Amino acid sequence: MNQKLLEKLSECVEFGKINLASPYPPQMKGLPGADEITKEALEAGVTPTEILNDALIIAMNKVGQKFSENKIFVPQMLLSAKAMSASMMHLKPFFANGSVKRKGTFILGTVYGDLHDIGKNLFGMMVEGAGWEVIDLGIDVKIEKFVEAVQQNPNAVVGISALLTTTMVHMKPVIDAIRIAVPETKIIVGGAPLSAEFATSIGADGYGKNPQEGIMWLDKISA
Amino acid sequence: MKEFINRILQSSKVTALPVMTHPGIEAIGKTVREAVSSGEIHYKAIKYISEHFDTLACTSIMDLTVEAEAFGAKINFPEHEVPSVSERLVVDLESVELLEVPSLEKGRISQFLLANKLAAENIKNKPVFSGCIGPFSLAGRLYDMSEIMVAIYIEPDIVLQLLSKCTEFLVNYCIALKATGTAGVIIAEPAAGLLSDDDCKEYSSNFVKQIVDSVQDETFTIILHNCGNTGHCTNAMIASGAKALHFGNAINMEDVLKQCPKDIVVMGNLNPVGVFKQGTRESVRKATRKLLDETAGYLNFVISSGCDLPPFVPEENIYAFLETVEEFNTKQYT
Repeated sequence: MNQKLLEKLSECVEFGKINLASPYPPQMKGLPGADEITKEALEAGVTPTEILNDALIIAMNKVGQKFSENKIFVPQMLLSAKAMSASMMHLKPFFANGSVKRKGTFILGTVYGDLHDIGKNLFGMMVEGAGWEVIDLGIDVKIEKFVEAVQQNPNAVVGISALLTTTMVHMKPVIDAIRIAVPETKIIVGGAPLSAEFATSIGADGYGKNPQEGIMWLDKISA
Repeated sequence: MKEFINRILQSSKVTALPVMTHPGIEAIGKTVREAVSSGEIHYKAIKYISEHFDTLACTSIMDLTVEAEAFGAKINFPEHEVPSVSERLVVDLESVELLEVPSLEKGRISQFLLANKLAAENIKNKPVFSGCIGPFSLAGRLYDMSEIMVAIYIEPDIVLQLLSKCTEFLVNYCIALKATGTAGVIIAEPAAGLLSDDDCKEYSSNFVKQIVDSVQDETFTIILHNCGNTGHCTNAMIASGAKALHFGNAINMEDVLKQCPKDIVVMGNLNPVGVFKQGTRESVRKATRKLLDETAGYLNFVISSGCDLPPFVPEENIYAFLETVEEFNTKQYT
């Protein structure tokens, strides 16, 4: 019974079925989604840790893999992320009281001067689905805000996003300031105009060409 | 169009059309903010490009906020970067229904039309191409890009209604651009590259085709640009009916050339940042030569940047690119 609920939940997240009201995907129209099934699973005695590890993380791994293989695209990935978020809402109290442990904390923001958020949002949702607590600082994030967040969460990993060639150069001052505040902080950067070479040149520890690469890097450093 | 397209298809030499205006803006001592706000300055930047670089044609500024601004979206204007939309304008069915298709008097549209008119009237040595945003990319700016991606599956009717309004405006705008005397328009549709081939066709190409059917003829060529396509939505781009397709650096040009009909001009795709901006003369030459070698023999190929060149690209890198094309043509065909 419980295993079946976990499988159903995993399927909802993999295929982007958010809740009962959502018409997507068409083959699951009229059926309960991640929202309702998570509630049902908790009431049936499935532990939040099982929900996270045996349904959500597995599903989001499959989603990331399919995205990197061009089998699904941004809309489908966002729908999966929304389904995962609907499930995660039910788990928040268990994260808050410490009964479920996350892999770590990930601070994320688009660098100052840059208002783009689709890449950041997508990656943030994938990271959350991979079992991390995500602190999303938003867009146009000033150096001080990154530093403040790192000082409040000294063990956190930081992700910095940029879409513009003029704003990608703002990443290095952010990295330098974080290194002064909490030197051991691991930092990953991403965004359309970036490259692995550029990431290295500004002192970043990691570079995510796509969300899946970023998740793999996070898994590696948290192992 | 025939003249422009035939000139490419019938030439044994590879022609070069980097999409660029920023080198012109910088050379005349103006900022991006000034250039996107003034038709006169915008024109002078295009004029500089036409006089200093041996390219197939010149292009207007790729500012993908002009149309959203006309609809009423709030725009952020950095001094040295193209503007961006700062917040969504429509959020649901009601706001989409209430959204009015703006006149061409709104926002900076009249300044962009002026720039195109001055360029078409005064630049005689090569064709001038106008530019505008594509329907899906415009709708995404008005509805929020993340939200529209989800809405195409959850609330497709809202998206289709918004796309109809965007397309109606773009048709009017392209008719006005055509009237300025330019040789065609580059329709930039990068957001459609985030969709599958089927979705790209349904939510982008079907609407681009309405623009194509309204303005494309023997005197006016549509170049459809989609730098988000990694190879997965080329068929959708072909279905738009545009006589020229322009690709970003994430795609393999040889694969694209094999896939596209021979009577469609195929343009692309050197990395505007990694090659042009961050490269050296030598690395630009190497990358250009490599692409020319890979695409040799395709008469419908025009070598280009994968997107518009960003601000502050070293001029020497652009010259290195053009010199390499010239050398390739000389060695290959003499």
